[in-house]
Amino acid sequence: MTVKHSNRRYSEITGRAVLYAILIIVAIYYLIPLVIMISTSFRDMNDIRFGHLIDLPSSFSFEAWRMAWSEVQIGARRQLGLRPYFINSLLITIPAVTISVILGAVNGYVLSFWRFKGSNIFFALLLFGCFLPFQAILLPQATVLGKIGLSGTIPGLVLTHVVYGVAFTTLFYRNYYVSLPGELVKAAQLDGAGFWRIFWRIILPLSTPITVVAVIWQFTQIWNDFLFGVAFSSPQSQPVTVGLNNMVNSSTGEVRYNVDMAGAIIAALPTLAVYVIAGKYFVRGLTAGSVKG
Amino acid sequence: MANLYIDNVHKSFGETHILKGIDMDIADGEFIILVGPSGCGKSTLMNCIAGLEQVTTGRVIIDDEDVTQSMPKDRDIAMVFQSYALYPNMNVWKNIAFGLEIRKLPKEEIEETVGRVADLLQIRDLLKRKPSQLSGGQRQRVAMGRALARDPKIFLFDEPLSNLDAKLRVEMRTEIKKLHQRLGTTIVYVTHDQIEAMTLANRIAVMKEGHIQQFGTPQEVYDNPANQFVAGFMGSPSMNFIRCQVVDHQGDATIAMSVDGKDFHLPIPQQEKGVRERVGQEVVLGIRPEQITDVVPQQEQASTLANVDAEIIVTEPTGADTLTLIRMNDQEVNCRVHPARAGAPGDTMTFMINMDKAVFFDLASGDRI
Repeated sequence: MTVKHSNRRYSEITGRAVLYAILIIVAIYYLIPLVIMISTSFRDMNDIRFGHLIDLPSSFSFEAWRMAWSEVQIGARRQLGLRPYFINSLLITIPAVTISVILGAVNGYVLSFWRFKGSNIFFALLLFGCFLPFQAILLPQATVLGKIGLSGTIPGLVLTHVVYGVAFTTLFYRNYYVSLPGELVKAAQLDGAGFWRIFWRIILPLSTPITVVAVIWQFTQIWNDFLFGVAFSSPQSQPVTVGLNNMVNSSTGEVRYNVDMAGAIIAALPTLAVYVIAGKYFVRGLTAGSVKG
Repeated sequence: MANLYIDNVHKSFGETHILKGIDMDIADGEFIILVGPSGCGKSTLMNCIAGLEQVTTGRVIIDDEDVTQSMPKDRDIAMVFQSYALYPNMNVWKNIAFGLEIRKLPKEEIEETVGRVADLLQIRDLLKRKPSQLSGGQRQRVAMGRALARDPKIFLFDEPLSNLDAKLRVEMRTEIKKLHQRLGTTIVYVTHDQIEAMTLANRIAVMKEGHIQQFGTPQEVYDNPANQFVAGFMGSPSMNFIRCQVVDHQGDATIAMSVDGKDFHLPIPQQEKGVRERVGQEVVLGIRPEQITDVVPQQEQASTLANVDAEIIVTEPTGADTLTLIRMNDQEVNCRVHPARAGAPGDTMTFMINMDKAVFFDLASGDRI
């Protein structure tokens, strides 16, 4: 009996070891491009020119980061570097995320607790927005933006992202709110609270987990968007994704891998930051109240 | 404190008719219980009284004022929900004070009210806790505290005790009764626990399929059910229903009964005159288990009694009594006998049938004859 038992233990340990080995190999394979990007961004051009493209840095400098941020010539633009594009991206993303998340929360609140005649059909139609391919709306949206005088402007891009983000945020909030007990709203109504007070005092304080999800989703979507950014912008309002693309494509002789890598990381940092910061609150939101208030 | 008048209220959701003409006249300070099977519309009626649902037609009148079109907050009603519906993000103090803050009461008054309610319900130690840190019974108390703090015209309770364990439920039941005696506020209380209904109510409304079947005092509903549904719904174990024939026996209308192959006659009580006119017809005899007992000698002379020997099929001891299953007219009948006198399954024992409180129903409609 005991012998059999220990045999099973050994086979279990072996299985675990194999499993972990596979996981580690896959993880390394997955991480290598990132490691190469980071290491290349800190090498200087001589190092890359005379050594291999894939190599550990024998030199270390922030030169490539400085170049990518504020010195490299992108297209025929007078301002240098990715910085103006990066600022554009912030000016587009922050309002677009804020507005679409707030609208989604109010929509979800209405669709869950204040049903009206046809609210289910309304919700079903709204869901179409989630499945609409973006390239399908390029021409109509360009016409609309032209008609309302927002072509090629940052507010135009904000509007576009809000319109196409509301479908997702509404879906998130609505599905979260239907899991809350409807009696909460009834109790608050009897206590004398109105539509907005119930939303602010009762429902919104319970929405932290889904708000974090909606913010991460919207921020990632809008920051990483390339299609709208290239189609609906003018040179003065292009986001960082377009800037990066232009930077890599406007070569002046040799390809400066270190600058390209640094630029790519700069363009990706904010989404990473949002995930790291908000992800922490996400976990906190989920566990709040279970042990200590 | 207020009276409540519900006038021919109908409620439909699309093609589904939930309430089909409810009339209730509830006096100031009454404790009304709504009972009925799931889906009978009792919770919908509560929501209509509270204003959380709009009635389709009809009127709701509180304190002689028509509130049919009023918002819930203007009706001055407090409700305790089955799930308690405590605000999870607020501590107990805030939960109780929320309604008072919205009504813009001065701070000192809120402090005082919350303190008074907390003392009344013995939850003073819990005021700083969040609902998630409370036990079921404590949450229940907080939910009641939230309702009490408002000092409303009417309390609505929607199955408030159904999530508690049996012991706590009995304790809270007593507390609710005490509270009502002390405050004297009108209460409408939904439950499907008929012991709760019997013990708490001034009057019970038995509902089924959107109609009120009977609205009367607990004893009326128990002794004088309006129909077979009410009779079967109230009382545990429920009333026995025995199909039988009304026959003429020596010039008097009686009930023909057969137990284990022996035929005999059961007397019809004086007050049940309608049955006497149905000689030759089949009716349903309703008799509660406690009317069929072991032989009690000092009662044996009464005219409404009949003794019968019957074979015991099953016994179920409850401690105070033993429920004994026998067959009459080939239908199973529950009897309530003294534990010391109960026989074993298979034994034959003499039962005493007291027809004094027997009731009769029409075979087809189930209505009281």
